[in-house]
Amino acid sequence: MRLLTKYNRINLITTVIVMFITGIIYYQTIKIILTDKIDKNLVVEENEVFEHVRLNNNLPQVYQSDDQHITFKLVTSPVTRRFIDTAFLNPPDKDPESGRGLITSVKVKGDTYQVSVVESKVETEDLIRIIFMITIAVILLLVMSLFVINRLTINRLWKPFYSILSNLRSFNITDKKGAVSVPSNTDEFNELNNAIVVMESKAKNDYQDLKAFTENASHELLTPIAVINSKLDTLIQTGLFSEQQSNLLGDLYESVSRLTRLNRAMLLMVKIENHLINDDQYVNVKDVVEQLLAQFHELYADKDITVTKQLSDKQIYTSRSLLEILLNNLLSNAIRHNLAGGKIDITLDYHKLSIKNTGKGQALNSNDIFKRFNKSSHSEGTGLGLTISKQICDSYGFELSYKYDDPYHVMSIYFKD
Amino acid sequence: MKLLIVEDEQGLRDSMQEYFTEAGNVCETASEYNSAMAKVQLYRYDCILLDITLPGGTGIDILKELKAGNHSDGILIISAKNSLDDRLEGLDLGADDYLVKPFHLSELRARVMAIIRRKSYNGNNLMSFNEIEIDLLAKAVSVGKNQVKLTRKEYALLLYFIANKGKVVSKNAIAEHLWGDEFDMADNFDFIYSHIKNLRKKLVEAGSNDYIHAAYGMGYKFSE
Repeated sequence: MRLLTKYNRINLITTVIVMFITGIIYYQTIKIILTDKIDKNLVVEENEVFEHVRLNNNLPQVYQSDDQHITFKLVTSPVTRRFIDTAFLNPPDKDPESGRGLITSVKVKGDTYQVSVVESKVETEDLIRIIFMITIAVILLLVMSLFVINRLTINRLWKPFYSILSNLRSFNITDKKGAVSVPSNTDEFNELNNAIVVMESKAKNDYQDLKAFTENASHELLTPIAVINSKLDTLIQTGLFSEQQSNLLGDLYESVSRLTRLNRAMLLMVKIENHLINDDQYVNVKDVVEQLLAQFHELYADKDITVTKQLSDKQIYTSRSLLEILLNNLLSNAIRHNLAGGKIDITLDYHKLSIKNTGKGQALNSNDIFKRFNKSSHSEGTGLGLTISKQICDSYGFELSYKYDDPYHVMSIYFKD
Repeated sequence: MKLLIVEDEQGLRDSMQEYFTEAGNVCETASEYNSAMAKVQLYRYDCILLDITLPGGTGIDILKELKAGNHSDGILIISAKNSLDDRLEGLDLGADDYLVKPFHLSELRARVMAIIRRKSYNGNNLMSFNEIEIDLLAKAVSVGKNQVKLTRKEYALLLYFIANKGKVVSKNAIAEHLWGDEFDMADNFDFIYSHIKNLRKKLVEAGSNDYIHAAYGMGYKFSE
């Protein structure tokens, strides 16, 4: 629920309840006041009757006015004086209106009469009704104006907030541009915005530092690795080695070559990230796939892997070297993680390239496989191959996705149209 | 052959020098920009191994100087900068080849030999090692009168061995030369062995001596 809606709801409910309670109190107060006024009128009338009886020693003539009736009734004993709510009939055959009456008694020449003075309450009730209507109208008007005001003002008041939010959403840590400041005359939003601008630039700086560090570290590592490599090459020229020494040297070679690959992969990632590879040209994906398959022929033939392919021409505008690295990674994965006697199926059409391979019969976690240094425990790879592949795809707007379609692991590149 | 190695890192320079030093070779070195510049201005070399990042200047300037003087020295750029722009710039300026650090000395040597071959044979595309004759243009190998049918990889392997004759070449270097350094070869050394066995068999069957010797399980040596 949006803050505005939430606020509006609370606001409306409170307003209605308060208005309702106010209305009830208002209604009751007015009713009490008016009833009190009628009662006073009745007492005046009663006094007039008593006055008449005292002076003339008979019952007064009864006037049937439109809003007041006085009736006398002979009773055996005096009645208790009391006010009552009763019906008022005017004229007697019409529908009863509500009325207020005073019952009292008077003695005339030894006889006790019950006197009831009844007055119509219609006017009072009309008054109350009108007051009630006005109250309702005021409530409605208030609610409506609140609603409209909220709509107009609050939306405008919150505008900077939504601008800040959309800035935050489009925040990209690799982007070298500074954070955009959203001007506002609301202190809270200014504070929020300032905090975000500071945070973004700090995050970007940290990221750049880290990236520069990776870059420098990878570069600085190159020379010592090159020296180790060349010294090993020189060392093996020096004479006869025992089997144990040969094994040790073999292990050393293996580690150095892994180190080399790792280092190259890291440097490559930095370069892709910085968009430093700009040899874009039209390349036929089919040609590259064919060329790599020829290059890897011995590798898959050695594992008895059957390769089937269905390739149509597909030109894309991209860096040939990056495309080669991308397909090299995917194909070598398909070979390396395959089973002896397994299958690889490659299809290329206008929209996508799919590389299907048999392998361990178990789906990989498609969220994790593109992460850095995520690799199976027995893999001899750098753990960066798929990360690089994904990065290459991202930088050209292709989509790289993985799915498991028993018994195949399927890697697909969807080209952008 | 006469070589000049321009490289500031001493460890690497020494290894390279040692790898190329043998009877009939002159191998000079320079460790920084000025001495390298002085040498290329004074002497001619069959091949110059040129590092791009040097104390006091850049290898690119030395390359420009060589090209401005119309010297025909072969030039192999060695660089830690695996940047495509650098590579293209180097090749555009007239370098013959480009090798990125780190590399195997055998790979370096194969590249250098290829450059020198291109420069000195100049139209003559025949190369031989004892009774083995190679037509570089037709990529055909023969022993005496017998043609040897080699696959593309076996042919590349043979050239690699001949360029590094008398040297122990590690299996890693062979694997990287044949299948590229991107591919992880850890579990595939067995089949390098089968490749070499095939090459050996084909050559011997055609009447050649067996020149390929396994070297203590970590590599191979092509020698008499």
